Amino acid sequence: PADIHDSSQARVRSAPAPVTDVAKLCVCDLLVAQCDTNCCCDPDCSADDFSLFTTCSVPVVTGDSQLCSQKAAVYSLDVEANPPERIFKLIDRVNPSIFCIHATNYKEALYLKSPEIPTPENFDQLLDKFGGATFSAEPDSWNLDTDTPNPPDANETSRYEYGVPVQTEDAFLRLPSPVVSSWCSDANPAGFLVNQATKCIRSVSVEKCDSIQALSMLFYINSSILAVPKSSQMVNITVQSIAVQSLNGMRTLLNSSDVLRLPMVLDELCINAVLGVSYHITHTDTGEIIEAAAAFVLGAISKEALSVEQSFEISFTQENAQPVPLSGNPGYVVGLPVRAGFRPQGYPSPAAFLSNKHSQLTILQSTSTQDCLAAQGARAPVLFGYNMISGCKLRITAAMKCQPLAQTLLDVLKGQNFPEYVASFGNSQAQDVLDWVPITQLHISEQMICNTLQSSCQIPVSLGIEVKWTKYGSLVNPQARIVNVTATVTTTTLKQLPSGRERIIPITSSVVFTDISSPAEPGYKAWPTINIKLPFDFFYPFV
Amino acid sequence: SSQLSSLPLQILLYVNGIYYIFYFLATLAMIIYKSQVFSYPDDYLAPDLAVLFLMAILEVPRLYLGFKGNLTEAEAPLGLSLGLTVGSVVLCVYLLLWQTYVLRADVLLNAVLLSAYGLESGLKVTAIAAFIS
Repeated sequence: PADIHDSSQARVRSAPAPVTDVAKLCVCDLLVAQCDTNCCCDPDCSADDFSLFTTCSVPVVTGDSQLCSQKAAVYSLDVEANPPERIFKLIDRVNPSIFCIHATNYKEALYLKSPEIPTPENFDQLLDKFGGATFSAEPDSWNLDTDTPNPPDANETSRYEYGVPVQTEDAFLRLPSPVVSSWCSDANPAGFLVNQATKCIRSVSVEKCDSIQALSMLFYINSSILAVPKSSQMVNITVQSIAVQSLNGMRTLLNSSDVLRLPMVLDELCINAVLGVSYHITHTDTGEIIEAAAAFVLGAISKEALSVEQSFEISFTQENAQPVPLSGNPGYVVGLPVRAGFRPQGYPSPAAFLSNKHSQLTILQSTSTQDCLAAQGARAPVLFGYNMISGCKLRITAAMKCQPLAQTLLDVLKGQNFPEYVASFGNSQAQDVLDWVPITQLHISEQMICNTLQSSCQIPVSLGIEVKWTKYGSLVNPQARIVNVTATVTTTTLKQLPSGRERIIPITSSVVFTDISSPAEPGYKAWPTINIKLPFDFFYPFV
Repeated sequence: SSQLSSLPLQILLYVNGIYYIFYFLATLAMIIYKSQVFSYPDDYLAPDLAVLFLMAILEVPRLYLGFKGNLTEAEAPLGLSLGLTVGSVVLCVYLLLWQTYVLRADVLLNAVLLSAYGLESGLKVTAIAAFIS
């Protein structure tokens, strides 16, 4: 009915009018229909309440103090009287400054504007004006021309850039990942050059497992990837390898990866369900994708399982390049492993260093048993910038022979493949011989007194690696560069124990990063000089 | 022959010229101050600045014609100057009453200028009457 609509309109359109009368404004009146303590302007307070107050929390209520003359309500407590009473005075306050506002012809100068109440009629216009990230004062004249395509998009047609979602025929290359909770969400796009590895849980039911799309290989390889964004050039996703995981976790690599294996129900098990996908995308250095391959891990789901954990991984490699992970470009990034390598035989002929993922600078990793001899070779990579200390306890019995013990301890401290050279920059190439810093090896004996027999056996008890690095490059963006690496092995003599006794000595290894960058020196530009030279024939004809 | 040019008018025109330069710079500085300290949107700032600059543009021929008319004892330039004075008075009243923010300093400056214009107009009328007769 029309009258209800009108009344609702009338109700909606009126906002409460702003209060401007100084005598009626009260900032401390917070409780409705109750007296606020020490609030002298509260209309709910009676004379008895005022006699209990100690001070007035709001002594003056005025308008804008920049006006030349304004009304002010002054509240005070007369404590001399018995009982104390509140005094209320309405006075005219005069601003003595010569720059006080005498008059103003602009309504919103001194008061906040009442906002427009949205109604069904003006909602669209208000949304245009205030709905964006910034409010436009003139929304009509500054609208983008909707006929021409958006200018920012024009740049991205030619190539992929870092972080841009990899596009496929229908949408984006999906990398299911946990969002908020651990359940898989299929809406996560894979970003170009963003290497990711995610694990998430998917709910399954064995009866319907052949109809669940996310468990079948087809779901992950059926849409082809666009080579460049918004183009028609397609790159098919090939199946690189298929590994089948049995119920007890053992994986076997299948010989033929051509056959597409789809999930099916067999003997109360769902076989050929996808448990993991690993994408490998090859790209050119101009941001074009040329190859895409996926390696699958298929497994079986038993009837009782209500959910299965899937793991997904994507990695990008440039064509014709060895994927050596960089630890910084060019300076080391804190937290990335220090790259190390070996000098191949035949030096000093300039040959490349051998450095791959397995030749890293590592230190001993402390285990829960803390027994050096049972360490099982657990090692932790040395991360740039992170000082680490680790150790274990060595139990020496009388029966132990010194020389093999010393060799074992050296292996425990240094590891199997202790490198000889460390990369100076995070992106040092193996062929640049000068970018690699040799590791200086020092041996220190704990007992410096020379009266002990040198022939008594020394066992290493600690390894300290000190990495000296400096800031290199510009002052605003300094790059970390390793200058010097020293590995110090401290040895001590092994005293012969009486039989039956045993001793426990601690073995430690540590890595310390020291910043040896010299402080920046201010450099001044050369003062301009006046370059005056007399012409060569100035003293003609005398010279 | 007695001199018909009015000496008080000449003095007043000269002082008016100097005062106007001070007035223009002071008012411009105060508008800049107001735009920084108060909320002064562009569509309120533009008319105020326009009026100030228009008044400055009017002032130059007004004073020149006043000088010329008084010194050459010609009534035509003096009459024209009187006409331009009317325009300047209107703009001065705008700056006194209808500006977006009228500060106390604005009131003082404009009041002084308005009284100078009034006195000038009176003296110009007297001078024209003297020249005609």
